[in-house]
Amino acid sequence: MTAVQDAPVRAAVPPRQRRRRRGVPPLVWAFLLLPLAVELFWVFWPAMNSFSLSFTSWNGVGAARPVGFENYQRLFTDPIFLTALGNNVIWAIGFGGLSVAGGLALAVALNRPGRGVGLYRSAIYLPMVISLAVTGLFWRVMYQPGGPIDVGLGAIGLGELQQQWLANPDTALYAVLIAAVWRQVGYIMVLYLAGLKGRDPSLEEAAAVDGANAWQRFWKVVMPQLRGVNTVVFAVTVIDSLRTFDIVWAMTRGGPYNTTQLLSTYMYQQGFTLVNLGYGSAIAVVIFLLALAFIITYLVRQARAEEL
Amino acid sequence: MRRSPLFHAVMIPFTLLWLAPIVFVVLVALREFDDIAARGLGAFPASLTLEGFATALAGGKLATALVNSAVVTVCTVVASLALAAIAAYALSRYRIPARRTILLVMLAGNLLPAQILLIPVSRIAQGIGIYDTLFALVVVQVGFGLGFYTFVLHGFMRALPSEVFEAALLDGSGPGRTFFSIVLPLCRPALAALAALATTWVYNDLIWAMTVLQTDTKFPITAALLNLQGGYSNSWNVIAAGSLVAAVPTAIVFFVFQRHFVSGLLVGTGK
Amino acid sequence: MAATELSRRRFLLGAASLGSVPLLASCVGSGVGESGGGQASATITLQSSIQDTAPKAALEEIVAAYTGPGSPVTLNSVATEQFRAQLSTYLSSAEPPDVLTWYAGSVANSYAAEGLLMDLTDLWTGDGACAGFSDALRSLSTSADGKAIFVPTNYYWWSVFYKKSAFQQWGVEPPTTWEEFISLCERLKARGIHPLTNGIGSTAWMSAGWFDYLNLRINGADYHRALLAGQRSFTDPEVVAVLEEYRRLLPYFHPNQFSWDAQQAVTPMVNNEAAMYLVGAFVTQYFPEDQRDDLDFFSVPPINPGVPSAEEAPTDGYFAAAGSDNPEGAKALLNYLASPQAQQEFITKSGSSNLPTSPDVDTSGFSPLVQKGIELLNSTQEITQFFNRDSSDALQTTADAALTRFIADPGDIPAHLRDWQAAAEQVFAS
Repeated sequence: MTAVQDAPVRAAVPPRQRRRRRGVPPLVWAFLLLPLAVELFWVFWPAMNSFSLSFTSWNGVGAARPVGFENYQRLFTDPIFLTALGNNVIWAIGFGGLSVAGGLALAVALNRPGRGVGLYRSAIYLPMVISLAVTGLFWRVMYQPGGPIDVGLGAIGLGELQQQWLANPDTALYAVLIAAVWRQVGYIMVLYLAGLKGRDPSLEEAAAVDGANAWQRFWKVVMPQLRGVNTVVFAVTVIDSLRTFDIVWAMTRGGPYNTTQLLSTYMYQQGFTLVNLGYGSAIAVVIFLLALAFIITYLVRQARAEEL
Repeated sequence: MRRSPLFHAVMIPFTLLWLAPIVFVVLVALREFDDIAARGLGAFPASLTLEGFATALAGGKLATALVNSAVVTVCTVVASLALAAIAAYALSRYRIPARRTILLVMLAGNLLPAQILLIPVSRIAQGIGIYDTLFALVVVQVGFGLGFYTFVLHGFMRALPSEVFEAALLDGSGPGRTFFSIVLPLCRPALAALAALATTWVYNDLIWAMTVLQTDTKFPITAALLNLQGGYSNSWNVIAAGSLVAAVPTAIVFFVFQRHFVSGLLVGTGK
Repeated sequence: MAATELSRRRFLLGAASLGSVPLLASCVGSGVGESGGGQASATITLQSSIQDTAPKAALEEIVAAYTGPGSPVTLNSVATEQFRAQLSTYLSSAEPPDVLTWYAGSVANSYAAEGLLMDLTDLWTGDGACAGFSDALRSLSTSADGKAIFVPTNYYWWSVFYKKSAFQQWGVEPPTTWEEFISLCERLKARGIHPLTNGIGSTAWMSAGWFDYLNLRINGADYHRALLAGQRSFTDPEVVAVLEEYRRLLPYFHPNQFSWDAQQAVTPMVNNEAAMYLVGAFVTQYFPEDQRDDLDFFSVPPINPGVPSAEEAPTDGYFAAAGSDNPEGAKALLNYLASPQAQQEFITKSGSSNLPTSPDVDTSGFSPLVQKGIELLNSTQEITQFFNRDSSDALQTTADAALTRFIADPGDIPAHLRDWQAAAEQVFAS
């Protein structure tokens, strides 16, 4: 897969064509520059503005007041920010870990022919068609005292677990996490299903002949073939866990008393409910840097592995 | 692949439990407001009615909103995939300087939390005069999603066998024709999968709509649904009904595209 | 194409673009070119955050019937939370909506301070619709520099609501003193009924209702206003007294209040499992239709005898954007909306328990509940709005966190107040 482009060509192509190949045709430059321009204008330019906003204090009207690093200094002594940071770590591990593990497991389990299996796959994916805000709204209702979850627990004899799930700071974040994972698993499952379709069954048969059991076959033979999908899944999971906003906002608004704040909800509260745009932008910059750190280290490692 | 009864014995209750929240939404949508006010949301419906759906469709301007959503979604998905495809083509098959960096930079654009861009984008949109238009909503979402689609298509195109390109070159085909007649058809599975994903993302977007639009007749369905929630009081049955109506198009798109979904998002997986 | 040439070119390009970044980057937030209207237009846009079904429908009808300059009016309804988030964008855009719904108080005044609101003094003088409004309303609608910038059109009151039939069934009467109120709660609790209900889950601001009233009854409206303006500290002994009294009430609340919102808190009252609810008059919309006439209220009884009486009455209305391109039409629309006929129509059609601000509205046709509310507000000595409207949304979030945490864990009051004061200081400093 990792063939360097022009290695096979050099041998066969006459000099005149080789020189033309080294240059990039203008049409191809246009192919690249048009999308790049769109992204630069609509994403990077506003982002630059936000970065510079994070060094100001601004309430949306009039001119922004420059305050240097004050917003960042305030961030690191802000108890709510630190709670949000901690929650984001829990979220990344919990939401990321569970949705990937669940998605992979379901993909492997449901990667078989049969009409019934198609129904199962569709059922698992169905939560994705409902928007996050609506999902959050109705899961909040489900967690109500006397609501379906408490009733269900009572029905199976786990009555003493009943409690006010979203009002208890010890359980609220995990309650929201379950709702978010419920929705995300179908999506990851679909990505892995696609990846599994592309694998080579003869390799597994060979491994089986060599005496590898199912577990070893999976980890040593199948997983390496999923490397490409794993990259996409990793990128998607990191992006989605750091961007999670709608579902937490709809379910708890960051409460009870700020114990389920994530960086994104705190950013929204500061930037839009309270219109502290400078401070909100500073939080957003932190989110971005975290995401960038994850992605870059992983991708650089990937790229280096590819070059070997 | 044994078809064991144990498999179904586990999957059926699992699936039913999985679908329980959705069933709950359906039940709420079919109740009357007074029933909910009197007995709470957790109770089983005392009677079934379609009043929620009627109110949602009539008062919530849902029909217009659905049309707006359709227009924005289709335009955004087509434009983003087109731009992503040409960028991925350029980056994957041509020796563009710093191509890996450019790819990472484009992906990084997708990593930015949307909230960080909201205020600047709304001011920029106002500045160039497209504020409060569906065009602005399309353009913003195209820009925002471009990085990820380019990244995925790039991996896919990198994995295409080079013999195909050599054959095209020997035929005297230029980059444009190679792209349209050879690369695009080969990418169809990945494009279909991305189209289905992109549709879900764009259709379910809320914050961009709220940021660049002001007139409520231009709102897409997600924003219109929000309007169903009262300031002080919620008609839960209307909200549930509206949410179900809004979920129908994405469900349809998923089921239609499913074949391509499951058959292709092969990002360089050693073929 | 030598490699070095390419890299030098790229370097220069890179340096140039990096240099221009700070320039471009500070475009947004520089406050330049963000206001200023286009050419005058013939129509008016009314941006509304009114979401509840009946009031929204009522507003639509009233606006459709307007035929003065600037008609037909385009009415845009936006969800309240999003409206709040976008309000500064709306007001500072080049083509802002002409008229907007909002609340009187601190938020309106802060936009006025930035010069974003149209001067509406015309409507408060001569034969303008607001000329006859009460002095309290006038001062509420005036910004710090003496210009009127707000048009109040309706307000509602807060009180302890209960169901008459339920009280009859239990054989109890509404209390007139604080001791009677506490003993009423005790009696109801002994019978297995939750005396008080509330919804502080996703509507955490409801916890400030009792705080406000206890502060008003124990320390008086002047202290309350000063506290909310940052002139007192939350660690004062006066506030400690408020929270101690609040703690006394906590055992009487329904335990599920942590998970409910303001609307769900009504459910136990519907079933006679809970008795009383300190809430705004909008609560009538939450009850099933057949129970609405059963509702009645009594004012929170006085606690300290020397303290002047006070009630909370949040006021809603409209303001106009300074950048509007049809100021004449905007003022005419505001005049129409504030007129007695329009107010009467809105209140009747919306079916909510709102009170008109115009003294010329014929209130005899309103429900007995509303008339009792009017009397309550007319006979009280002080009127405040509500925590957030008297201070700011930012301070409200500190109250939400502090009060919900206190209610969950009322043990160490000084610690809670210290944290609250620290958070409040952040708000006042910015």
